[in-house]
Amino acid sequence: MATIADLRRVVGETKTDAAAEMTRELLAAGLDPMEILEDGVMNGLNDVGNRFAAKQAIVLDLVRAGVTAKACIPLIQAAFPVGEGKKTDKKIVLGTMLSQHNIGKNLVNTLLSIGGFEVIDIGEKNSPWDFYETAENSGADMIAVSVVFAPAMEKFTEFIDLLKEMKVRDKYPVIVGGAVTTQKWAADEGADGWGAQAKDGVDLARNLLGVA
Amino acid sequence: MGRLLWEAIQRSTTGPIMSEEAFETELFPTVLADLQSKYKIEWNPDDPVMIDPGMADAVFQAGMELLLEVGLYCKDTKRIVKFTQEEIQEAIATAKHEVTLGHGRQAITLSPRAPGDERHPYTFFPAGALTKDVELYKNYALTVVQEPTCDGVIPIPLFGVGDMKLVADTPAQTLVCLTEARLMNEVATWAGKPGLFLGIPMSATTPLTLMSCFGSGLYNKHNCTLPVQILQDMRINFDRFNLAFFAEQHGIEPWMSSSPTLYAYLTGPEQGAMEIIAHTLGMLAYSGGTLTQAMSLSVHGTYVGNDITWCNSAAALAAERNLKLPWLSFGSTANPAGALSDDAWYGTAVACINACISGMEGLWLAGGSTGMESRWAGEITRAAAGLRPQEGVEMINKINAARREPNPPVMPLDKLYDMKTLRPGPELLGQYRKFTRIFRELGLEYPSWVD
Repeated sequence: MATIADLRRVVGETKTDAAAEMTRELLAAGLDPMEILEDGVMNGLNDVGNRFAAKQAIVLDLVRAGVTAKACIPLIQAAFPVGEGKKTDKKIVLGTMLSQHNIGKNLVNTLLSIGGFEVIDIGEKNSPWDFYETAENSGADMIAVSVVFAPAMEKFTEFIDLLKEMKVRDKYPVIVGGAVTTQKWAADEGADGWGAQAKDGVDLARNLLGVA
Repeated sequence: MGRLLWEAIQRSTTGPIMSEEAFETELFPTVLADLQSKYKIEWNPDDPVMIDPGMADAVFQAGMELLLEVGLYCKDTKRIVKFTQEEIQEAIATAKHEVTLGHGRQAITLSPRAPGDERHPYTFFPAGALTKDVELYKNYALTVVQEPTCDGVIPIPLFGVGDMKLVADTPAQTLVCLTEARLMNEVATWAGKPGLFLGIPMSATTPLTLMSCFGSGLYNKHNCTLPVQILQDMRINFDRFNLAFFAEQHGIEPWMSSSPTLYAYLTGPEQGAMEIIAHTLGMLAYSGGTLTQAMSLSVHGTYVGNDITWCNSAAALAAERNLKLPWLSFGSTANPAGALSDDAWYGTAVACINACISGMEGLWLAGGSTGMESRWAGEITRAAAGLRPQEGVEMINKINAARREPNPPVMPLDKLYDMKTLRPGPELLGQYRKFTRIFRELGLEYPSWVD
């Protein structure tokens, strides 16, 4: 019989079908869904993240790990007694400002989704208005912006100004990240949070939205 | 219209449909890994440069097969554009091997040079600063262009002009880019170098601005090139076709550029080098260009390290032996720690020596740095031309092992230069002298390197 440690290993190896099958097996055996989620799936994801930080894995591995985790999580969520699932009721608008880069943004999407947030991914080449309009129309709780090349930094400034002008700046915590950004720049521009890595987005969202 | 550009446009509406996710997570990495294994392309992390001709040929063949098997993914139509081997072979056979950049007395012609060639690669310095302050931008650029070893420049993007913001997709961005062009022309004239090669319009982010800024003549087919660069990991869109067509119709040299990101969808520098070749052949097909710029970067945010230099050298050597296109790679002359950082000066030297021994014809130096750092790049490139590949590798290993002083505080331009004369101040001259001494001890010489 498989163990939670086995699940952690196959998630770390990004074996999607095997991980989903193992999750079903563990649930059927009556193991605690929360343990399966945290010790199996999330730790497996963390293993891939740690390998990436050590330059022993690539973004594609993170994406595949995300796909693997996404195959397991609905099975686990369905096993939670009503009201005890990890899913939050928070919506986050996410997109890349101006440019067509999407690697980091997609990773943030995956991790936020796994973290229980509803992500409204507006893709690439967005204007400040795209973020604002989507947030207003969707009833979002937060906005996350990927800024990957220098001209998009200027657009981010415009975006913060737009939120102020539309009198919704306080309504939406705004987090930002991306290759050209720094913590100081983000703070100077008035962002509520800055992430050096994709996984930072989840911690920022939890803190800013008061999710335990 | 070029025949293969026309074919690419047609195939972008008729080629096989595939989701982008399937392309980037399944087809592309699978074929890439299979080809790397088939051709046994392996990097030893201790190697800063790839100097093996046999492996260079393997990289070229793998890159060619990568393009033929995977094709180019059109983001606008979700279709794959494929070329036949005969089409690519014909594009290679009919490609031009020389390109002249700049005009008048500043014209330079990039022609094939082998590793160790006594002729130096040309150096294109970063000119300007990341600012809206036009005077500061101009002064930074002047410190660079006045240097005798400045063969051309690549402007730094202007953030705006005074209070006017750069707004993409509007005339504001075009005006900012035209200001960049005006300043570059003005600076070249002030430095006695009218007709200098001015690189690419760097403040432009959209095809509309890129094309519009050639309308004034400030940027033109003699002093500037037009980016038609492929998108990451074998992707294209209609913008590439529009830019290639505009360049073709106006006689502007396309700036073919490939910038693979290592450790994103590429496992390392081996796959990065293969992708650069595939990218170049794809761009050659749809743009018919000559000048190629190829540089790798790491998803971890760096442009330095053995993996980066190995990737750049492997692609350059593969191209030198099999394509003989005028080839530029990349070196960053700037460092967040500022102009007096030892890391910056050593890093620049590594990029320049790598260009010399890998058979490159030029080096795009970037970063928003001072003229002295640019001078260093130009001089080290001239001094290192003629190094045999193994000698260059040994020198790079010594550089990488050299002790660095702790980074000093960052100093602004007006503390590094006398702003009335634009002559470097004592700190910057001291850094320059220190490094010329170090490199003379390493065995390089340049006429101005005297105590």
